[in-house]
Amino acid sequence: MFEKSDEHLIQKALKGNKKAWFTLIKRYESSVYHYGVRMTGNAHDAADLMQDIFMSVFRSLENFRAEGSFKSWLFRVAHYRCIEFYRRWRPEQGLEDVPEPVSTAPCPEGEILSDHVSKALTRAMQNLPLTQKAVIELKFFGQFTFDEIAQQMGLSPNTVKSRLYSALSKLKLDLEVENV
Amino acid sequence: MSDSKQQVLISKWLDQQLTEDERNEFEYLCLHDAAFAGLVETASRIAMGAEQFEQLSVPDWNKSATFLSDDAPRWWQWQGLPIASMTMSLVAMVMVVSGFHVEVSGSKLSMGFARVPDADAVAAIVDTRLETYQQSSQTLLTQYLDALNTQQQQNSAQLTQYLLSSSRKERREDFAELVKFINQQRTDDQRFVARQINHLQQEISAISTDYTVTNTPMELNDD
Repeated sequence: MFEKSDEHLIQKALKGNKKAWFTLIKRYESSVYHYGVRMTGNAHDAADLMQDIFMSVFRSLENFRAEGSFKSWLFRVAHYRCIEFYRRWRPEQGLEDVPEPVSTAPCPEGEILSDHVSKALTRAMQNLPLTQKAVIELKFFGQFTFDEIAQQMGLSPNTVKSRLYSALSKLKLDLEVENV
Repeated sequence: MSDSKQQVLISKWLDQQLTEDERNEFEYLCLHDAAFAGLVETASRIAMGAEQFEQLSVPDWNKSATFLSDDAPRWWQWQGLPIASMTMSLVAMVMVVSGFHVEVSGSKLSMGFARVPDADAVAAIVDTRLETYQQSSQTLLTQYLDALNTQQQQNSAQLTQYLLSSSRKERREDFAELVKFINQQRTDDQRFVARQINHLQQEISAISTDYTVTNTPMELNDD
């Protein structure tokens, strides 16, 4: 009924209140997990990434300034942890505008997603470079503005718009193939 | 139309910030530019797919591993407890060394250090000492008064004796002076009387002479 604010939970978590921290996790774990699924295309990696993100968030929690929303700050941390994840576990895949290598292996997301549209969308996103994938994720799934996305990714708004445009061009082809 | 212009239009369309002119331009491109229309359609499909994205249940994961600080300490794990314990030990040592004591008399509980009596004891000691001092002072004062009286009596006797002896001498001298004065007065009176007599004698002599010369009986009767 009276839901405690993120800032209140953060203050309590900083004082060592584990329950407050778990409440905060409960509030955002689904968003972060789905973010991980779409960014990695893999449920196992998504779970690992989610844990890595929340660990990093907790470590940086005292640096959080309530100038913006906690969700925006959380996904900023998530973006950098995702880049780190790709550098560590998938060094062969491009971070920037280098196209993803086409994989012939069966997509693991097919094992967890049953909805055809969701599965097609997730599969198509896996063919995007990380930064374009992140822009699509934050714009369409995170519902952030271009300015917020630019701030989270450390880019200019025009660069974000350019990457979205490029991503849409690639996804257009992949989604058309999915529908064939 | 350039890609950058199309990027701007798609971006504003996604943020629902198109102006009337931009909306007209956007719709015109959607109708006449197949590539642009394809991008808009793709964006719409992704937006719709995002809204209807299958909600997965989050697997069980180790949330506690993300809580990197210790749990909030219990009261018995309070960090200040050892310090408080050591402080209390030091206080106890000081109390023992300094002779701290607690006394219960009736309904009165008094605490203090043995070397320093309480207010009542101090008052009793002071009263006792004052009484002793008063008694000794009284004795000394009595002795002093006795001595003073004795000395006063001796002084009075000496003074009386002196006065008596001195009075006799003075009175003798005064009487001698008086006798001398009276004698002198008598001498003076005798001289005065002698002179008067002489004078009278002279006058008488003078009268007798005149009487002889004139020999008038009337003058004799008149004298």
